[in-house]
Amino acid sequence: MRNRLLLPNRFKLIGLLALIPFLALGIAVRFFDFGFSFLTHKSAWILNSVNGTSNITDFQNYTDEIALSGIIISLLLIAFSREKQEDEFISQLRLESLQWAVLINYVLLLIATWVVYQFAYIDVMMYNMLTVLLLFIIRFHILLWKNKYSTDHQKS
Amino acid sequence: MKNTIRVERAIHQMTQQELAEKIGVSRQTINAIESNKYIPSTVLALKIARLFQKKVEEIFILEEND
Repeated sequence: MRNRLLLPNRFKLIGLLALIPFLALGIAVRFFDFGFSFLTHKSAWILNSVNGTSNITDFQNYTDEIALSGIIISLLLIAFSREKQEDEFISQLRLESLQWAVLINYVLLLIATWVVYQFAYIDVMMYNMLTVLLLFIIRFHILLWKNKYSTDHQKS
Repeated sequence: MKNTIRVERAIHQMTQQELAEKIGVSRQTINAIESNKYIPSTVLALKIARLFQKKVEEIFILEEND
């Protein structure tokens, strides 16, 4: 009954270590307008969504694409790595956490839909790309910790 | 569903850790089963019964509301 969609346990640490620089890069891009100049390309094929024509000389900087991809891949590695002892009970905790995370994610999205408007809503959509994974990782590890704690601190 | 694993462990003088290692699960899993927070799969139930040399029904008992 092994879950074939999971990576070996060591990928969790790799994901955590990779998350730090990519998250820092993401924050730098998002809040400080940072961009590596060598990642700027003159692109002829960027479709202008406003008037439907392609803009022939547009400059595209790929720093934000790299930061977002790195954050998503790091979070996926953390979320989908096997625990040291991944048995059927741990698998159930994993599934319950995933269900919980999807539900909470959409509750938050629904609330945000009614309280955040216009350009600020784009921010909501942006953070929403990461919240399912984040909520899942947090929920799963809280459950793991709670079960470990109650096992270590029981009477008998 | 309730179970008598804690009793069986006491009879066999086995810790949760030892039982967990013998049937290849984590100690948290044994603890969760003993405190009725988790119902094990048929495979795991059979493994536990075989280890204690009992029938599954002697270790896992259905309750009224099951």
